[in-house]
Amino acid sequence: MRRLFDTGNAAITEAAILAGLGFYSGYPITPATEIAENMSRRLPPAGGYYLQAEDETAAFHMAIGASLGGLRAMTSTSGPGFVLYADPYGWAIGSEIPVVVVNAQRVGPVSGITGAPGQGEFYLSRYPTHGGNFETIVLAPEGVREAFSMTIEAFRLAERFRTPVTILADQLVTDGWEAFEVPEGPGEAEALGLPIPARRAHPGPEFYPPTDEIDVPPVVLGRGTGGACSDWTPTEEGYDTEEVEAQMRHAFRLVYKIRNNRGLIDRSELLLMEDDPGLVLVSYGSPSRVARSAAREARARGLRVGAISLKSLWPFQDRLFPRHRTHLVVELNRDGQLVREVQRASGGRVHFLGRCGELPTVAELLEALGDVAAGQAPRAMPGARESW
Amino acid sequence: MDRLSRKFLRARKIPGTACSGCGLGQVHKRILLAIEGLGLGKDDLVWGTGIGCAGRQTFNTWLGDNFAGTHGRVYALAAGLRMALPRERRIVLTVGDGDAFGIGLKHLLNCARRNLDLTVIVADNLGFQSTGGQYGPTTPPGAVTDSSPYGLDEAGWLGPDLDILEILRAAGATFLARHLSLDGQGSVESVKAAILNPGFSLVHFIYPCVTHFGAVSLAERDKGRVLAWFREAFGDGPGEPGGGAGEGPGPRVGTGFLKFGRGVFHSAPGSRPDYSEQVKDWTRKMARGQGGGLATGNTP
Ligand code: SF4
Repeated sequence: MRRLFDTGNAAITEAAILAGLGFYSGYPITPATEIAENMSRRLPPAGGYYLQAEDETAAFHMAIGASLGGLRAMTSTSGPGFVLYADPYGWAIGSEIPVVVVNAQRVGPVSGITGAPGQGEFYLSRYPTHGGNFETIVLAPEGVREAFSMTIEAFRLAERFRTPVTILADQLVTDGWEAFEVPEGPGEAEALGLPIPARRAHPGPEFYPPTDEIDVPPVVLGRGTGGACSDWTPTEEGYDTEEVEAQMRHAFRLVYKIRNNRGLIDRSELLLMEDDPGLVLVSYGSPSRVARSAAREARARGLRVGAISLKSLWPFQDRLFPRHRTHLVVELNRDGQLVREVQRASGGRVHFLGRCGELPTVAELLEALGDVAAGQAPRAMPGARESW
Repeated sequence: MDRLSRKFLRARKIPGTACSGCGLGQVHKRILLAIEGLGLGKDDLVWGTGIGCAGRQTFNTWLGDNFAGTHGRVYALAAGLRMALPRERRIVLTVGDGDAFGIGLKHLLNCARRNLDLTVIVADNLGFQSTGGQYGPTTPPGAVTDSSPYGLDEAGWLGPDLDILEILRAAGATFLARHLSLDGQGSVESVKAAILNPGFSLVHFIYPCVTHFGAVSLAERDKGRVLAWFREAFGDGPGEPGGGAGEGPGPRVGTGFLKFGRGVFHSAPGSRPDYSEQVKDWTRKMARGQGGGLATGNTP
């Protein structure tokens, strides 16, 4: 085991290399540039190819192409590049090609502020492309150690589910420094609960079986299997078809392979939830760190408060949000994204505290909790109104 | 199904669904003749396609492995695939003019700059025909199409002072040729040279779309006269420009708009390295320096 003190970007790089990454392509963008830089330095000595793309659309397509050829592949970006991923993201979903995608969210819209954290792509990560008829898998680390472990898990999920997996981080996670441990090899990683299975190739001819089962190997080209994959609705053998029944079978697989196996994806951390508190802080990513401190402090002050930190965002974990509780959702945007989903899932009382470009403080969360406990809207959002 | 189809194509996709009289099948045949001439088999190459008549009609026709990209992106997919496949496994792409010279041009130029070992066959029907006949990046000047009802007045990539092949040469491509689907063995030889070139090759095949370009732009339904217009517009031999404007049989489009006609435009195999092979070589060297091999996560 090596102990490093470094950034989330470095942790993602080291984890991908430990997972046997064969190909990385990216395009410089703050605050994810450091992943590309680290890859260019660290990946070739580890036997993986680094290619700098002409834009993010190309970067993701190149990663898919490499994955199609049998390489374990990855790309990374921030919000402005994540929107350019829309085209290849759909291709990889439809053709069921495993790729790991990192989005280090910064504050927007558009170019926004390059070096400030945001959480504006919560819904975009659920709908990263057009056309519907799919589910996505999205993991959300709140710090450097989780950025490391989730990167390894993302490769495993991407290959088991035959789909791109997004690690939705934020600038505080990717630029933040923390100590983390790097297992020396796959054996040591597995002992830590991070198995790294070997990548497989589909032997054909039914590359697109009409089933919601997982662990179907992906199409790999260049191996004489007669592999076929495209952006068109596929027949079971990968021919393009215009038959609505085939489209229904394809959509069923893309949706239900994920929904029916969500137990392998769902991740959350519950704090002070044993006594079913009536008031619960909800967050993901870096705000979770403040939320936990605030929940503990609130308890110390006699307020029965719990905290739920989501570690996987999609598919959304509805079961964590029963109607009888009041939820206060904390996120790094002012429009309110996670809060809408919590409202949908719970159908009960849901409040919102949004910050942009910086974390809220523990004091602000405490004040907001006090307000909500007293039946008022949180005052910790200057200029904001209760409704979201 | 003829001999070539039986040898190289999937029975399920033959015959295709192209309009009768379309020149695309001829282009497809030239590629197969070149593959046969080189003695290549189904596992020697992976076939990729784009969007439009050229892409959709040829997707998954190849007996071996096939892939199709979204509009204009198959070049970037192929760039990643090039990194994963060994040098001897060829990649051939059949794409349309809108795909290559319109929406995908940036990726295409970057593949040329990297001189990636890809053979791009642009099957050019002089416009967006699968969507019903709008003008595209190679539609001749003056042509009336469904989106240029008063005649096309925007400069395209095929004009008297500008040629897309010049741009590709400047970008670093190492083999470039232009042919008509009607051309015989010369065009097959160009495709062979393109496949053999260990770098970026593009063969620009212009073919008659009878349904839209012929019927609307040339206002001509007689196949013989449509073909005569193509022969005249695209010259008679290598490097010869087409005839004088307005002299073709088509009443609406002149033929004197070309800077370069048919034949091999640029051939410089080996003059520049294939960047994908460069990356593979030095990655292997670096990994060996660390006492290791290629990454462990790849498909064994
Ligand atoms: S629309 Fe034109 S190019 Fe397309 S298949 Fe028909 S004739 Fe050929």
